Amino acid sequence: MANIPIGVPTHIQKICSLYKRTLRNLESYYDRRHVYRYHAVLLREKFDKIVNEKDMRKAAEMVKQGEEELFLQQHPIPKKFPKSPGGVAYERVVTPPDWVLDYWHPLEKAQYPEYFKKREQRKKEFIAMWEKEFGKPDPKDTHH
Amino acid sequence: MAAANIVRSAFNGLLRKSTSYRIPVVCRLSTVATVQKFYAVKAIAKLSYQVQNGVYAQSTRQYSSGAQSKPSPQQIEERVMKVCRTYDKLSGTKLSVDSHFMNDLGLDSLDHVEVIMAMEDEFGFEIPDSDAERLVRPKDIIQYVADKEDIYE
Repeated sequence: MANIPIGVPTHIQKICSLYKRTLRNLESYYDRRHVYRYHAVLLREKFDKIVNEKDMRKAAEMVKQGEEELFLQQHPIPKKFPKSPGGVAYERVVTPPDWVLDYWHPLEKAQYPEYFKKREQRKKEFIAMWEKEFGKPDPKDTHH
Repeated sequence: MAAANIVRSAFNGLLRKSTSYRIPVVCRLSTVATVQKFYAVKAIAKLSYQVQNGVYAQSTRQYSSGAQSKPSPQQIEERVMKVCRTYDKLSGTKLSVDSHFMNDLGLDSLDHVEVIMAMEDEFGFEIPDSDAERLVRPKDIIQYVADKEDIYE
């Protein structure tokens, strides 16, 4: 959900995102830490120039150029965190959504009486909270 | 003839002796090699306990996960503060859990990106940009990591 773009990113957000992606790209190229650091420092100097550029037109042009450079130099097998998209353990463990519990058989529910009693109570509390914040649902309003 | 026999037997004996002597020599060489390996491994192990920026850095990797191996909130705080202190622009500053990276510690947004990347490397999961913007205090990062790993007191 967090990866869905909401709104137009500001100039500084674009620079930060590009900086992070370029650093990660460097990291997948140079596995020796000191070599990576050397290139990272060079990259930092480049980005400081973009940040300190007063002329917005030039700065936007530089960001565009940076994106182009990153695209041309992207790593064929980039490093990924295990649980992020593209990683080895992405979606390995599927957590079932909460509503699945509501569709348990009554006999199954009867095995955990205390929990389900509390759950019903919590549902009522949540509905009360919702109605307090947004008002009661209009019975005539059948469409969203 | 007898002299030739004596010479042959002496030669054979020498050969046998030399083969029988070769084994302990080999053994000794192999023990030397293992001792050398032991010292090399010891030296490598010592290297990984180096002090970086005045912080005692020790790499902890956990290969199993479960209820027992989850870090406690105190451990998360320790690790977050350790990562903050190892960042070179924060090593000389007065760092606390509540200090603001930009306002109190004088980092710019690119430094903030680097700090967040160090946190990602420490905890081994990705922090999206939209979340990273809001993590402006070590306290926020601790809370975020605890939420992500489902840790509560």
